Amino acid sequence: MSYLLTHLHHAFHVDEAIKSEEERVTIIRFGCEGDTTCMEMDEVLVKVAEKIKKFAVIYLVDVKEVHEFNVMYELYDPCTIMFFFRNKHIMIDLGTGNNNKINWAVRDKEEFIAIVETVFRGAKKGRGLVVSPKDYSTRYRY
Amino acid sequence: MATLADSFLADLEDLSDDENRDEEGAEATEEAPDADKDLAEAAILNYDDLDSVAKLQKSQRFHDVMKKVEEAMTNATGISSKGLVAEDDPKYQLIVECNALSVDIDNEITIIHNFIRDKYRAKFPELESLVLHPIDYSRLVKQIGNEMDLTVIDLEGLLPSATIMVVSVTASTTSGKLLSEENLQKTIDACDRALALDEAKRHVLEFVESRMGYIAPNLSAVVGSTVAAKLMGVAGGLAALSRMPACNVQILGAKKKNLAGFSTATALPHTGFLFHTEIVQSTPPPLRMRACRLVAGKCTLAVRVDFTRGDISAKIGRELREDVRKKIEKWQEPPPPKQPKPLPVPDSDPKKKRGGRRLRKMKERYALTDMRKLANRMKFGVPEESSLGDGLGEGYGMLGQAGSGKLRVSIGQSKLAAKVAKKFKEKQYGSSGATSGLSSSLAFTPVQGIELSNPQAQAGLLGSGTQSTYFSETGSFSRISRTY
Repeated sequence: MSYLLTHLHHAFHVDEAIKSEEERVTIIRFGCEGDTTCMEMDEVLVKVAEKIKKFAVIYLVDVKEVHEFNVMYELYDPCTIMFFFRNKHIMIDLGTGNNNKINWAVRDKEEFIAIVETVFRGAKKGRGLVVSPKDYSTRYRY
Repeated sequence: MATLADSFLADLEDLSDDENRDEEGAEATEEAPDADKDLAEAAILNYDDLDSVAKLQKSQRFHDVMKKVEEAMTNATGISSKGLVAEDDPKYQLIVECNALSVDIDNEITIIHNFIRDKYRAKFPELESLVLHPIDYSRLVKQIGNEMDLTVIDLEGLLPSATIMVVSVTASTTSGKLLSEENLQKTIDACDRALALDEAKRHVLEFVESRMGYIAPNLSAVVGSTVAAKLMGVAGGLAALSRMPACNVQILGAKKKNLAGFSTATALPHTGFLFHTEIVQSTPPPLRMRACRLVAGKCTLAVRVDFTRGDISAKIGRELREDVRKKIEKWQEPPPPKQPKPLPVPDSDPKKKRGGRRLRKMKERYALTDMRKLANRMKFGVPEESSLGDGLGEGYGMLGQAGSGKLRVSIGQSKLAAKVAKKFKEKQYGSSGATSGLSSSLAFTPVQGIELSNPQAQAGLLGSGTQSTYFSETGSFSRISRTY
């Protein structure tokens, strides 16, 4: 279903996409297309895209196609989501220890919308770090 | 049941007797008065003579009207060139008579059907519950006659094949016995009479329908000539019909069968002839009342057009019918599909904060009281008391400590209550001694509670201008001057 979302095939396109949005949060999904985790995440992204289109826009990037960001953003997971607002990277305190990105598949649409909304509110106020509504520190249930 | 039927028939006899006497002198009725008296007195189950109960066919009125109808039918071509028919034309009167007659014929057929049924019950009792329609029943009885074995009789064309099958099967196991020759003859005669009446009714209705196109073309275009004829008959003319509002037209022809004690659940409200038209009956049941009202409205318009001879070609009638059809179709359209709406931008519409006295009073209930304020603060170097003692429990802060400036902490009055208290005080002291007999000398003040006040003292205060009003609660600005 990821054919319903915009893919970016060049690092230049990615840069332009992040810089061009003035009013909305830019969500970039970095991942390997064939991976199951990535596909699950893409499902959720497709369903959510229409609902949040007034304050967020989603782009998909294949990590194997566009290598430039792999070292820069440490994209070693099958699926990574990063948030940008007005050319600034927005960090989220998810409780996992890594505030820069979401590197697992968020299964629930409502959960994901909540995270995006929090990012938008915080970013609009000028914050660089927002606190996620749900805590993921015990995600692995250890 | 027979006695009830007899009493109803007796009523009918009275009616038709009146009409006969009014219309002509010559009595064409072949009544047997003796048999009639016997019938009324004895009230037996099997009345032998059909003529004593079924009189219409032999009445003069019936013959007159039928003759006129036949004449008019044969003169059909002469009329068509003249266009619309005027209302006081005898042709028009004939149509009104025809309407009344067709109703009477219906009643007559029912009576005859009852007669046949009673007679034939001895032979084939189950038939009356299998075949309900009176004319079908009569035809069937005529065909079967006194046969016991139904396989030799050909019933094709009289009934649908399923019914024929059921009838044949029931006949093979029937508990009936053969009728006597006399009874059989009477039954066959009655059947013939019923069928003849049916024919006559068909003739009459055909005639009315054919003429309807000339009298009220638009109305016929909207609801059909039969119903149009019925409406006109009941209303008593085109003029009367055109003066009726649409809600009345809707009710025309409603049967008021509310005999006391019988259920009114099956009685459809506000349904007359129009409810039984093709257009309304073909709509789904939930929309039928709406359709009925719509048709009644358009019908009224058509009638008014016809009355004023506005449109002879029935174009308006056809347009109205098309209108009705389109509207009914529109009602049955499914609702438009729900579009998924995107979420609004967060914080784009700031919350509407309300104000006003009501809100302030509500907020007062949760406001920080003086007591709580004192409890929240602490003096430096002075340990606070607590509810459970020794530092456990809730701390009391500066509440109840010496030197806090208040002897007793009260609940404290709200700001709004102060305004009311001020007004109250003004009223009291503004009476200047001329108090009514009902006023009390007790004053309710906020700080001390109830106190006995001396109204004279206060009145004196206000009266003399020498007293200082600087600290007065009721005083106002006494002198305002510009200071440079």
